Amino acid sequence: MQLDSKIPEGPLAEKWDKARFSNKLVNPANKRKYEVIVVGTGLAGGAAAATLGELGYNVKSFCIQDSARRAHSIAAQGGINAAKNYQGDGDSIFRLFYDTIKGGDFRAREANVYRLAQVSNNIIDQGVAQGIPFAREYGGTLANRSFGGAQVSRTFYARGQTGQQLLIGAYSAMMRQVAAGKVTLYTRQEMVDLVVVDGEAKGIITRNLITGEIERHSAHAVVLATGGYGNVYFLSTNAMASNVTAAWRAHKRGAGFANPCMVQIHPTCIPVHGDFQSKLTLMSESLRNDGRVWVPKNPNETRKAADIPESERDYYLERKYPSFGNLVPRDVASRNAKQACDDGLGVGETKLGVYLDFAEAIERDGLDVILRKYGNLFHMYEKITASNPTKEPMMIYPAVHYTMGGLWVDYELMTTIPGLYAAGEANFSDHGANRLGASALMQGLADGYFVLPYTIGNYLANVAPEPTTTNHEAFDEAETNAREFTNKLLKNTGSGKSGLQTVDYYHKKLGQIMWDDCGMGRNKEGLEHALKVIPEIREEFWENVTVPGNRNELNQSLERAGRVADFLEFGELMVRDALEREESCGGHFREESQTEENEAKRDDENFSHVSVWEHKGEGNKPVMHKEPLTFENVTPSQRSYK
Amino acid sequence: MSWFIQTCRSSLGKKYIMALTGFLLGGFLLVHTIGNSTIFWGREAFNAYAHHLHSLGIFVPIFEIGLYSIFFIHVITGVLLWLQNRKARGPQKYEVQTNPGGRTWGSQTMIYTGATIFVFILIHLANFHFVEKTEVLTISDIVTKVLNNPGFTLIYIIGMSVLALHISHGFWSLLQTFGINDPQYNAPIRVVTWAVAAIMITVFVLITLLLVVSQNQLLG
Amino acid sequence: MSSKTINIIVKIWRQNGPHAKGSFEDHALKDISTGSSFLEMLDVMNEALANKGIEPIAFDHDCREGICGMCGAVVNGTAHGPEKETTLCQLHMRSFKDGDTIIIEPFRATGFPVVKDLIVDRSALDRIIQAGGFVSVNSGSPQDANSILIPQHIAEQAMDAAACIGCGACAAACPNAAPMLFIGAKISQLALLPQGQHEAKTRAVNMVSCMDENGFGNCGNERVCENVCPKGISIRHIARMNREYLKGSFFRDE
Repeated sequence: MQLDSKIPEGPLAEKWDKARFSNKLVNPANKRKYEVIVVGTGLAGGAAAATLGELGYNVKSFCIQDSARRAHSIAAQGGINAAKNYQGDGDSIFRLFYDTIKGGDFRAREANVYRLAQVSNNIIDQGVAQGIPFAREYGGTLANRSFGGAQVSRTFYARGQTGQQLLIGAYSAMMRQVAAGKVTLYTRQEMVDLVVVDGEAKGIITRNLITGEIERHSAHAVVLATGGYGNVYFLSTNAMASNVTAAWRAHKRGAGFANPCMVQIHPTCIPVHGDFQSKLTLMSESLRNDGRVWVPKNPNETRKAADIPESERDYYLERKYPSFGNLVPRDVASRNAKQACDDGLGVGETKLGVYLDFAEAIERDGLDVILRKYGNLFHMYEKITASNPTKEPMMIYPAVHYTMGGLWVDYELMTTIPGLYAAGEANFSDHGANRLGASALMQGLADGYFVLPYTIGNYLANVAPEPTTTNHEAFDEAETNAREFTNKLLKNTGSGKSGLQTVDYYHKKLGQIMWDDCGMGRNKEGLEHALKVIPEIREEFWENVTVPGNRNELNQSLERAGRVADFLEFGELMVRDALEREESCGGHFREESQTEENEAKRDDENFSHVSVWEHKGEGNKPVMHKEPLTFENVTPSQRSYK
Repeated sequence: MSWFIQTCRSSLGKKYIMALTGFLLGGFLLVHTIGNSTIFWGREAFNAYAHHLHSLGIFVPIFEIGLYSIFFIHVITGVLLWLQNRKARGPQKYEVQTNPGGRTWGSQTMIYTGATIFVFILIHLANFHFVEKTEVLTISDIVTKVLNNPGFTLIYIIGMSVLALHISHGFWSLLQTFGINDPQYNAPIRVVTWAVAAIMITVFVLITLLLVVSQNQLLG
Repeated sequence: MSSKTINIIVKIWRQNGPHAKGSFEDHALKDISTGSSFLEMLDVMNEALANKGIEPIAFDHDCREGICGMCGAVVNGTAHGPEKETTLCQLHMRSFKDGDTIIIEPFRATGFPVVKDLIVDRSALDRIIQAGGFVSVNSGSPQDANSILIPQHIAEQAMDAAACIGCGACAAACPNAAPMLFIGAKISQLALLPQGQHEAKTRAVNMVSCMDENGFGNCGNERVCENVCPKGISIRHIARMNREYLKGSFFRDE
């Protein structure tokens, strides 16, 4: 596997300009002869489909939902970063670049992150031009807030629905292209395989989720914008349908998978309340600005929170990190919450929660002020838990939120398969080992609106503008594969065999192992355990899974079964990657690698690289390749929040 | 003109037609109310008012044709909308029918109150309009006679009440259709809607009751 | 956060396909935690069905936090269930009592044909947006964001309208099956903002005629939509659409 990151030469600030100038262009009259498949309609996919359509390409856009407006980008609450410096508080492109690369614990490429900071400003301009109602000041200028511990106010927002507004913006732009005949929508279609013809991506195989038909779709290039794989943990803040299938099957066709073990765990989610729980709900991080995190000192505490005297409470973040206190970054806050619960100090029915207490803030600022800041969040919390945070402390617990790993891409967002691109959360590129708040929206849109539409031309310019065909034998093979896969999943249906289990049973089982052994804290022993157990679960799954219904109709159990089958393979790769990475870094804590004060210890000497995995066929061990990371403009420093 | 036809055929266009014709019919009703109020000043005043109306000559049939046109456009468009809405709702009804809020007696029954009013108006016209009036038998005599029949008393009171129900939604609805909905004015609009409906209906009912209670004096 | 358990009977719509005849099916569910969400209750039911080898009830859902607009059904006669400003996924079982019979039906409207069980085809809403629910601007280099000034209260009103999640509850609940709140919200959002002015007239006309073509009804101003809207969007936005349409029809600049 060749890993050529194609980073242009020259000073950091000039690289993107240089790339754009040296990229080959497709003649405007020729663009209409090219077809591009875009899988996924989130921020990255929607923005890419719209922009490619505007440029004149013929776009085929696929999504598994009923409409291109549903992707989980829609759930982002907080906001989107941009280096506009509208507040005049010292922000700049370089500062946004620096914060992002430092936040990622120096595990991302300088050139990519700098480009992200550069185009961040265009995204805001674009959004406003589309009619996105960003928050405004009285005078009519755009409002900003500080987010996720940033020292400048650079976050743009539209109430608590920024992701929704940006997604609807991209969706509207895309609908305009649908009306213009440049984008064709294929909703309720799931990509089940990538078709590679003579080493280049030339199409996909999909399952029509309504009729169950296996369909062939050809194009001159394929873009995957299929999001993250957080649902490998079963419980996460991801949408129920978020999955790794498209990326994983592309990986099996030859696309390298980068840093699969890098997962972000968000500290402020509503705790699990029962084994029927289907997903976790995130509460905005901003709550930690005024809430105090604590647990009782006594593991056998049974009193209500309000009845526990100050002296018997442990405000562990304030105690351990006096200078940052409750505002330590996401990874530190998450790790410490888990630690407290592992020590038996957790609160709530399941003992998997810590208090986030607003009593002091209410006393200090008054209920009015606190409600003005957090009223909608309190309301949302009360809707779910039926508990009022102004009367009793909130309970929170960390949850899987975002996956930094993804398909390996070069500077042009092309994977190791020529003609196959990956954008947004589906690629690995910009967040390193940890993503900062308000930068996921930024990256998805940067890829979709401003990067991919330029770089894809560089590839297409070398592809003959002949009509594509689905008659190649590679399509035959992929289609047969897809049919066999479906039939295999349905083999137990109606068999009356005993000992069958549902898809969710295996998904939950896998999720528990991933959470225990490959979650926030990891060690060699646990990872090796997971490496032994996951193949066993997988085997059992293929032997005993029951999928009611048949394949020629809408069958949600079958959809889930296919996705879980892929998670069962992918989970193993994650564990392998985690095992290789013997350092604590960003979102994860490798217990063997810690400082004397039990803080995360990064190992730049041995792990300043991107781990890229190559699939070697069923039953064979995957091979890891390294893309070294070099830092010419910033100096990696150890993060400290003491 | 194609744009005009296109507009009239669209769903919102039909709503505008309903709103505009409803508004004009409401306006007529208001004038009618004021005119009929002359009866509170005695039968001479009432007959004089009627006589005055009839002396307008050519304007009378013109006005009548206009009024009938507006009326029938309102009725036909209303029926078309009702049919289209039934079709849009589909054959399969919800198992549970509830009102999650918003619906009023008036709003739910527009088509039924409309149909009732239609029948009522036919009766009304048969009673008072398409009858022979002479020097001896003046309009006030006819009115008094008809309304003293207990059956007609009831029909008129019911007719008026149904009309009130129709207007209680109709007036607010026509404003909404023309885009007049602003938090600043919504409360007063509500009040005015009810007040207009209530005043018109009170006047008509009072006339009816007046004629029933004091028939002798009037006839005398 | 203490939760108890309740026993309920679920009477749920089963329909195998768009042209199949549907009917209700009864399921008795025991020990449903009041802390679980409505969709988690359906998960529990479906899991039990799957364990018996019976096909689970198909229902649309995705984000399960009230924003994607994918979920929706009519619960005891009300779209998205009995709680105000709540999507079906945000509804919790504590809103029901032990022994309740819960009747669950798909969103019904001619414009929303049933695909299977509780799943309906809402692609008509996408077609309506395609008819004009956008500002015609290409990605590239628009002017600086702050060169378009928008007073705060206008931006807030536009945001009120833009909060629409496209779930279709307005049309499902409307006595006339009209998605006027959905269209009104989009037209109103863009009519309020300077960016949307240039296409305001054609937008309103085109979107409404697209709605008509897709077999929906007419607004009867009955206000049911705003009462079931999970985002609490006001029919004030329908009024603004009515004004826009009037302008678009009678004052074309052609």
